Amino acid sequence: MVDLLQHLVHGVSLGAIYALIALGYTMVYGVLQLINFAHGDVFMLGAMMGWYASSRWTQEAAHPSWAGAVAVTLLCMAICGTTGFLIERFGYRPLRGSPKLNSLITAIGFSFLLEYGGQFVFGPNPRAFGALPVDPGDQFRVLGVSISYIDLICVGVSVGLMVLLNRIIYHSRIGTAMRAVSWNPPVAALMGVNVDKVISFTFVLGSVLAAVAGILYASAYRKVEPLMGLMPGLKAFVSAVLGGIGNVHGAMLGGLILGLAEQLVSSYVSSQWKDAIAFAILILILLVKPSGLLGKGSAEKV
Amino acid sequence: MAGLLGGSALQRTGRAVRSWLPFFAAIPILALIQEYIALNPDLGLEYAFQNINHIGIAIILAVSLNLVNGLTGQFSIGHAGFMAVGGYVSSVLVMRGPQEDPYRIFFVLAVLAGAGAAAVAGYLVGKPSLRLRGDYLAIVTLGFGEIIRVSIENTPFFGGAIGLSPIPHRADFAWIWAVAIGTIIVAKRLRDSTHGRAFLSVREDEVAAEAMGIDTTGYKVRAFVLSAAFAGVAGALSGAFEGNLAPQSFTFVRSFEVVAMVVLGGMGSITGSTIAAAVLTILPEYLRAVANLRMVIYSIALIALMLLRPRGLLGTREVWDWWRKKRPARAAPERKVSEALIDVQDATIRFGGLTAVCDFNLEVRPRELVALIGPNGAGKTTVFNLLTGVYPPSEGTIKVMGRDTRGLAPHDIAHLGCARTFQNIRLFRELSAFDNVRVACHHLTRESIAAAVRHGSLAEQEEKWVAERAEELLQIMGLSHRRDELAKNLPYGEQRRLEIARALATGPQVLLLDEPAAGTNTKEKVELMQLIRSIRDRFGVAIVLIEHDMKLVMGVSERILVLDHGVTIAKGLPREIQSNPKVIEAYLGEKYAKEHAAQIAASGSSS
Repeated sequence: MVDLLQHLVHGVSLGAIYALIALGYTMVYGVLQLINFAHGDVFMLGAMMGWYASSRWTQEAAHPSWAGAVAVTLLCMAICGTTGFLIERFGYRPLRGSPKLNSLITAIGFSFLLEYGGQFVFGPNPRAFGALPVDPGDQFRVLGVSISYIDLICVGVSVGLMVLLNRIIYHSRIGTAMRAVSWNPPVAALMGVNVDKVISFTFVLGSVLAAVAGILYASAYRKVEPLMGLMPGLKAFVSAVLGGIGNVHGAMLGGLILGLAEQLVSSYVSSQWKDAIAFAILILILLVKPSGLLGKGSAEKV
Repeated sequence: MAGLLGGSALQRTGRAVRSWLPFFAAIPILALIQEYIALNPDLGLEYAFQNINHIGIAIILAVSLNLVNGLTGQFSIGHAGFMAVGGYVSSVLVMRGPQEDPYRIFFVLAVLAGAGAAAVAGYLVGKPSLRLRGDYLAIVTLGFGEIIRVSIENTPFFGGAIGLSPIPHRADFAWIWAVAIGTIIVAKRLRDSTHGRAFLSVREDEVAAEAMGIDTTGYKVRAFVLSAAFAGVAGALSGAFEGNLAPQSFTFVRSFEVVAMVVLGGMGSITGSTIAAAVLTILPEYLRAVANLRMVIYSIALIALMLLRPRGLLGTREVWDWWRKKRPARAAPERKVSEALIDVQDATIRFGGLTAVCDFNLEVRPRELVALIGPNGAGKTTVFNLLTGVYPPSEGTIKVMGRDTRGLAPHDIAHLGCARTFQNIRLFRELSAFDNVRVACHHLTRESIAAAVRHGSLAEQEEKWVAERAEELLQIMGLSHRRDELAKNLPYGEQRRLEIARALATGPQVLLLDEPAAGTNTKEKVELMQLIRSIRDRFGVAIVLIEHDMKLVMGVSERILVLDHGVTIAKGLPREIQSNPKVIEAYLGEKYAKEHAAQIAASGSSS
């Protein structure tokens, strides 16, 4: 029982990170109907820039402090937000009128550019990451379950950001505009919404969340490498599809389910299967309910 | 047709063998080249030879991936995964098989087993994801490729992370290039067949392809499975050539290289893929100085290409297209009338809370000209979508040719003999006018994919018949001079006529025309009126017409239905409709109808 609770705690913490990344996929899909392949690599970029900011440009990693960690995170959010903006502005926007396949190929191109550009600059080997002033080993016990501070931070920060995001999307002008664009871009434009601006904003928002997720993930696993975005990105995408792609609450729910499923499978079955479970879930959801748990089915208009 | 033209089994086999004769003749030549190089080691060609073999394998991969990514317009980025499946299955068999394999019979069987395993994997991955939009396939195949690699790394039976070694060297230059050439021939014959056009139509417009009788999901899965099988063969050959297999050589970098070959070469172009495969295999050898930047360069090239020349360097064209001549048009015979048709009983469809069409009834008899009119948003196009199976009705029954269409896909209904055009033109934009019409003949042909590849006599006869039929239809629609022009380059009015030609090519008994006169001027409308009548007379089809232009509707139709807010508010002869107060109200508003009641009554009785 204690064991199970212990795994649930880890699962929730992992799921919170997946959910943060999944939000970026789902929001972009919502407004553009495009799978932003590069999103997992923006997540990687967040972690990598965190490493540069804390170990290269400053001595933050040697003497971690809360203020330093916040500063590093904010810087990474700014860098990733800008990257997301640039990718949309110069990669996707010129292709908006052309077939979906072209945007998809461009997205894959950006994904590889970030991965291998990163590998070229950063080197292919993992490096230790320590921007936060807590160690993954630091923990306290509740009811026999040991909870590490880093898990607590992951869940706390993610939930905080999701509440904030929820307010932005459902209770702000720009959020209303985002929902209008995801409903029907031409009509939103006719109603005076600046569609380009909204789409840019969506990319920035998603990339900023990915940056935070990157810092949290790297802090929990204590390392950074150029290809680290691949698997979490894939799993976050599965979370988004599981919850219903285009649906913000679905992405949160999907992330949580996926984190728990992965943790339980790797504890009770075999850690080698933890990557396969995400894939199995994806195939299953595509077969049974392709619109996802919270999504609505839609037919192409003829 | 098969009985008349096919001949005996022996003759058919003979034909197939003859059509592949140049290919078989090439094998000894390849073997001779290999012998010559092996006997003259002082030529210093060993290293070049290694590269040539890598090119051969790359060609198999690129040309096969082109079937999915280029021709069918889906996007797989997990080709290395299927390569790994085929390679490992076949290599394990070869390693555990007999030590001596003088005629390589066992080797061939092992390669086929590898291809089969890859095809099965392709089916399992493709079937669930291909029902959905293309980008799902991309992420699913990416995941698949990674999972396969991780699974192999963790399976001691497959050598784990170290890999399999030593694999007996059973494949060499002659084998690799024979398969590479074979792959190109198979791809070319497929592309030139009715199946190839089905692939292309899926890429261009899935909804229109379904309406023309093509089982789009079925064709996507077929392309994908076939492509996976070839990747499996490439993996098997690669293992037997290198003498070892390691999971590290099947990362997504490998998949991405193949994707780059297909995209750079031109999506859909077989020769483009072939050339790109060769160039991208050799190029890194000469760019060793910037080896670290190889993937960066590929990704930038891909992005730049999408922004500047999205169809790739060759586009869908082939190298041999530059020699192809344009052909003159031909004349055609007439067809007979048949009976059967549409019977709709109380069909209702709701989208969420909105009832788009309510209790709709329609019976179409042979050779009838029925018009469906009503204000914007009245549900006219929805009626067409119901008839063609795009949406199933929420209530009521729809019978086409006496058959209840419940549970039938749009392509099944097209097979029954109900064809349509689209309000917002949905031609296969990147295909020629001729090919647009030929695609629609798809369901009238019987040749199998295998027959198309083999060049069986039935396939050839059918191909000829399809070409004649397509030319005939283009001529009737006055489009012969546009035969080889891409659909997207046709003027608007001709695009509309091409849509009608395409619909007619499915051999319909009922033709549904959705606003054929939209955007045409008065003179063209008069011509269209005559055209619609002549289509009816010539093909003996019944026509259901959605149209806003009252002059056209009144001039051409024999019976009119008026829809407003999904409800049928009137039906009858044109004369009756013209003076029907409800119709006038729907079009001009209640107030107008009341004020001009006397005038309307007068005009009704006078006409």
